[in-house]
Amino acid sequence: MNLPRIGLTTLVALAFGLAVTSFVSSGTLLSLFTQAIIYAIFAIGIGVLLRQNGMVSFGHALYFGGAGYGIGILLQAQLMPAELAIVLTLVGLTALAFVIGLIIVRVPGIAFGMLTLAIGQMAFLMASRARGVTGGADGMNIDWPSTLFGLSQSVLLKPAHMFLLCWSVLVLVLFALALLLRSRFGSITEAVRDNEERARFIGITTLLPRASVYALSALVTGVAGILSSLNTGFVSPENLHWSLSGMTLMMVVVGGARALWGPALGAVVYFLFKDILGDYATHWMSIFGLALISVIVFSPHGIAGALQRLSTLGKRGAPLPAAARPAQAH
Amino acid sequence: MLAINLFNGLVYGALLIVMCSGLALIYGLRRVVNFAHGSLYMMGAYLGYTISTQSNFWVALLAAPAVMALVGVLLDRYCFRLLQDREPLTVVLVTFGLLLIIEDLVVSVWGKSNLSVPAPELLNFSLELFGAQLPAYRIAVIFVGAAVALGLSLWLRYSKAGLFVRAASTDPVTTSMQGVNTDRLSAGVVGLGTALAGLAGVVAAPFLSLSPSMSADVIIDSFVVVVIGGLGSLAGAFIAAMVLGMVQAIGAVYLPDAAVLLPFVLMIAILIWKPSGLAGSRT
Repeated sequence: MNLPRIGLTTLVALAFGLAVTSFVSSGTLLSLFTQAIIYAIFAIGIGVLLRQNGMVSFGHALYFGGAGYGIGILLQAQLMPAELAIVLTLVGLTALAFVIGLIIVRVPGIAFGMLTLAIGQMAFLMASRARGVTGGADGMNIDWPSTLFGLSQSVLLKPAHMFLLCWSVLVLVLFALALLLRSRFGSITEAVRDNEERARFIGITTLLPRASVYALSALVTGVAGILSSLNTGFVSPENLHWSLSGMTLMMVVVGGARALWGPALGAVVYFLFKDILGDYATHWMSIFGLALISVIVFSPHGIAGALQRLSTLGKRGAPLPAAARPAQAH
Repeated sequence: MLAINLFNGLVYGALLIVMCSGLALIYGLRRVVNFAHGSLYMMGAYLGYTISTQSNFWVALLAAPAVMALVGVLLDRYCFRLLQDREPLTVVLVTFGLLLIIEDLVVSVWGKSNLSVPAPELLNFSLELFGAQLPAYRIAVIFVGAAVALGLSLWLRYSKAGLFVRAASTDPVTTSMQGVNTDRLSAGVVGLGTALAGLAGVVAAPFLSLSPSMSADVIIDSFVVVVIGGLGSLAGAFIAAMVLGMVQAIGAVYLPDAAVLLPFVLMIAILIWKPSGLAGSRT
């Protein structure tokens, strides 16, 4: 995509969010959307790692729950305004992820995934046990101040406003990622992903780009964690648990990680289906397991991959004579 | 205190040996890290519960692994074989889907409440060893672990099928060119690995209670073991299982607050030192 098109898509997407809030008045529906969108951002974090690094993380809940705990602890200490605490949490998480990344991206293939699982589970156990700081297994409430970025809490926490906030963050995250990955950084990480050895031969240091992608994906996931802690005002060890990482990874796979927006689509599909199923949701695990296996087997690049294939088919499927095209353009 | 903890560490290590030998065998032949292995263990444990309430524990000890072996053969035939040309990562995700399905199935059939299986009469006594009362059942578990480790090592080392398994783990294509039916071999090995998961479940039932979370607890420790040992290496897994059991036991005495973290610290340290695990290069 070229620059004007990215910019235009972003504006249209932002306007779409506004339109949704003016047409949908049901608070429960908007809350459902909000939740879906928070997980969409979480999934984009995992998706970026998979897309740019070819690596699968089974432990990204570390950065989702970690953001919640980070902000919760900083706000509890009452040392700084909440806005600064948000920034500090995100910077801290990114730095932490970069250091972890420097160590673990050297481990090849599936062992990397298992290592992320172990690190994530370690954080889960620590948070469940450190009762004094984190409230242990009961979780902790997050004392947001009465105003945030000049908006009072009662305004911010209205379903429509919360939705609009999360939606705009989602769009801006996608916009920023699209811009970043068009740059040299994007090409380098793709070169390293496709063939690390060859990338080294042409003089690219491969460790730093991979660790940076890992840190970037942690940052995106951390943003989702902050939004979730704002939305619910609460964080518990469940937000760090590996089953959450696994579930979100599934959303990424179902959505398809080839496109940046694929994981977000997967998350939205996940939440909408779960809601539609309603009464059958006791067997939700089986249904999602089956859906997952079918997607992997029949459409390895997920829903996004299938959509992209359809759209190229559509373009080829309506053949215009070469001579007719310029005439149509006028 | 330390003696009892070390003993319990041995028991847990033995259980992990039974679990992880299945994981390692399946990885060796199919290059699949089976996320559903913990659920298969759970399924074995619940099957064992039903069979032992209908008849007795000893029947369960034989029948549940037999049923699980069949499940394993079907799993290989209708899942791993069909997906063998796909990227390893895709197959891993498919096993994650299977995990969700099996867990839901188990909860639907047996419910969410905790169940327990009494230790068999024959082993329902304790021995006084090293100044501590040790339940005979747990001593028997150590023997089961040792028997599985010894049996598998001898089988792989000295039987013809074992030779084929070792060959196919090293290079499946060349092995099948030499006239070995690797598909049938894989079905057998995945069946064996799944049966071992079931066996671990039945054996664990009398000393760990049955609950829907039992699979998650053990699968993460098993992953730690196979990663420390080197994916696909049986000997590595045996050593790592015992090391893990011991580390947890000693940690529980000297570092009670951090004991649960020790396996992960150990895993991270070993992977930084040797990225492909203790036993080497098969990743």
